[in-house]
Amino acid sequence: MKKTGLIVASLALLFVATSCGTDPYEATPVPTKATPAPPGPAPIPAAENCKPGPLASYRPEGPLPTPGNMPVGSKMAEIAAQGRLIAGVSADSLHLGSRNPITGAIEGFDIDMIREVARAIFGDPNKVELRVISSPQRIPVLKNRPERGGIDIVARNMTINCARWKEIAFSAEYYRSGQKVLVQRDSTARSLADLSGKTICAPAGSTSLENLRKLYPEVTPITADTDTGCLVLFQQGKAYGITGDDTVLAGEAAQDPYAKVIQAPPFSAEPYGLAMNARDVDFVRFVNGVLEQMKADGRWKASYDKWLAADLGPAPAPPKPVYGRG
Amino acid sequence: MTQTTSAPPVTWSPPAPQVAPPSGGGQTLQPAPLPQSSIQRWFAGTPGRMRALLIVSAVVTVLFGFAASQGFRQSDGALKRAEENTAQLVRIQAIHTNLVSANADATNAFLVGGLEPPAQRQSFVESMTTAAKLISQASTAQPADQEALGALNTTLLTYQGLIEQARANNRQGLPIGAQYLKDANAVLQTDSLPLLNALVTANEKRVDTEFKAVGGGNTWLLLGGLATLLVLAYTMWWLAKRTHRYLNFPITAAAVLVLLTILVGSSALSGASNSAKDTMDHSYKDTVALARARIAAYDAKSNESLTLIARGSGESYEKAWGESAATVGKNLAISTARQPQVPWTRYTNVHREIRELDTVGRWDEAVQLAVGSGANTSTGLFSQFEATSSSSLARISSEARGELTAAREDLPPIGWLGIPIGIVAALLVGWGLSQRLEEYR
Repeated sequence: MKKTGLIVASLALLFVATSCGTDPYEATPVPTKATPAPPGPAPIPAAENCKPGPLASYRPEGPLPTPGNMPVGSKMAEIAAQGRLIAGVSADSLHLGSRNPITGAIEGFDIDMIREVARAIFGDPNKVELRVISSPQRIPVLKNRPERGGIDIVARNMTINCARWKEIAFSAEYYRSGQKVLVQRDSTARSLADLSGKTICAPAGSTSLENLRKLYPEVTPITADTDTGCLVLFQQGKAYGITGDDTVLAGEAAQDPYAKVIQAPPFSAEPYGLAMNARDVDFVRFVNGVLEQMKADGRWKASYDKWLAADLGPAPAPPKPVYGRG
Repeated sequence: MTQTTSAPPVTWSPPAPQVAPPSGGGQTLQPAPLPQSSIQRWFAGTPGRMRALLIVSAVVTVLFGFAASQGFRQSDGALKRAEENTAQLVRIQAIHTNLVSANADATNAFLVGGLEPPAQRQSFVESMTTAAKLISQASTAQPADQEALGALNTTLLTYQGLIEQARANNRQGLPIGAQYLKDANAVLQTDSLPLLNALVTANEKRVDTEFKAVGGGNTWLLLGGLATLLVLAYTMWWLAKRTHRYLNFPITAAAVLVLLTILVGSSALSGASNSAKDTMDHSYKDTVALARARIAAYDAKSNESLTLIARGSGESYEKAWGESAATVGKNLAISTARQPQVPWTRYTNVHREIRELDTVGRWDEAVQLAVGSGANTSTGLFSQFEATSSSSLARISSEARGELTAAREDLPPIGWLGIPIGIVAALLVGWGLSQRLEEYR
């Protein structure tokens, strides 16, 4: 009796001691995602007192050299030796520089400018290498040396301003754009002033973002890497609207039937220039010569009509070049 | 059947009332002995010590049976869990592989736009379907992974939604399609892959723990066995001293039984532990390495497309390609599978050709070499690597699991025989001691 009682008790103890051997595993930790920091405060705007004025570029020197005969030692001769003009462009700004999904080719108003420069150097508009870059990449790739991914020229709806002149050089103005706002079709807003407290998208590192912060501080800015990135945020309802150049917004509205560009006059002037390395003054003069020819012989207007007229109305007079630098 | 009698048996008699236990008021009865004194009396003197020894030895031998059984069940359980966790790891890696493979197809679609080749689309759909099925299987197989797998599922819904939106836009020739693809790729890279990495790490840790626990059962067996042998030896020594009979056969038989169980069990457990270690060092390591090589390879292929999409400004993707390719090389060197190496080397050569073409501005030719369907294009060679590595992985991973199953099946059935062995030994001890106790009656 007592013996079995003892045994039973010991057995029970042993069962308790051994039954805890099948602990379930600890749950796999779910990594926490760092929430992206909201865009920082607006950078201090650069003083607008650059000497000859922001639009002033380098005056072309005499008639353009004939294609294939670039002056020895010039940047153009270097490009000719390289066999192609390497240009930084956008691949997602419809009608300015965008990849045609059907043909795979990048095309638009900005691209036409590049092709005409290539035609002037090589006699062949197709001797170009188009590198797709984002807005914040524009200045760094121009300042890089060629072997480190540096490029010859940027045509990516780039606004000429004094702050940028400190780092790079611009051609004469080739198009006068202005900043507008794109909203949902049913919005009753008539300007950014009516959108206080709303989230408005602008590409990071763009003048559009600077203007938005400066002129409408009560609007909440949100950024994307590219203009199209803003359109995605808009379509996903993460941005109430997009602000940017009228050219870019027209291209975005063309891709989304539920978007409209508010037809108020633009609240800033955005003069576009082709951007080059600050050292390549000879190349800037050459490009200015090409632009002058294009504006004079109708190639500029032909390109405008092809890409922009449908959205932005009949061609205005091409912007008059301003020189007086250097 | 026809019996209807219900009379009680003849031997039955009604209980005699006079035999009933005495009720409270019996002053004539002797005072009942206290239980303590009865126990004391029972353990008093030499027969009492014998009784005490009997109880202790019997309890210890039965406990030994439990310890042996527990040790075996522990090792067997560790082997089983090692096998299950290996299977889970293989499953997680398969999910990872399917996702990077789907993404490689999707990034390739950047280059071809709306003209998506049907085979590529089908491969994308298949990869996503397989991943979805595996996620549901994996979350049933390992409840600890459920939360992470649920989070993974959520990211995949977002990913696939973005991909479909990209296709719809590409189909209409709208540049925004490319942006949706880019965002989809970003979701996969920044949301899904960290989850997969966490899952892989957690499961690798579990496999590791279980592989190491396979030998742990031996401790139970050896400690329990040693204690039992000591107790039995003491019992025999004490008996020999008191009774002047040197050998008590039943107790000796019990000791031999315990010793045999220790010897057979311990060698079986170390054998299982060694074969688990062998599996871990070879076929398991091989499986993990090959799976890692495959994952890195798909990553490399995606990065190849991304460098071309960036048209000349894709140094960061090319750098990522280099890192992934190095991972593939390193893991292929660890793996014993030979077949995937040739197509992989040939693929890396073609990749270099593509980079050269792109660097000198022959982008269109570079794209052609990348997305073309011939056997010597990047895609063609890559699918050879894909096929050979996939079949090698299937073979090696089933080998690893087979080895673990075999190690389990080779274990002697001490898991359930342990307790009967303990009881038999206890009975032998009891028999041996009661022989001597008889002499005191």
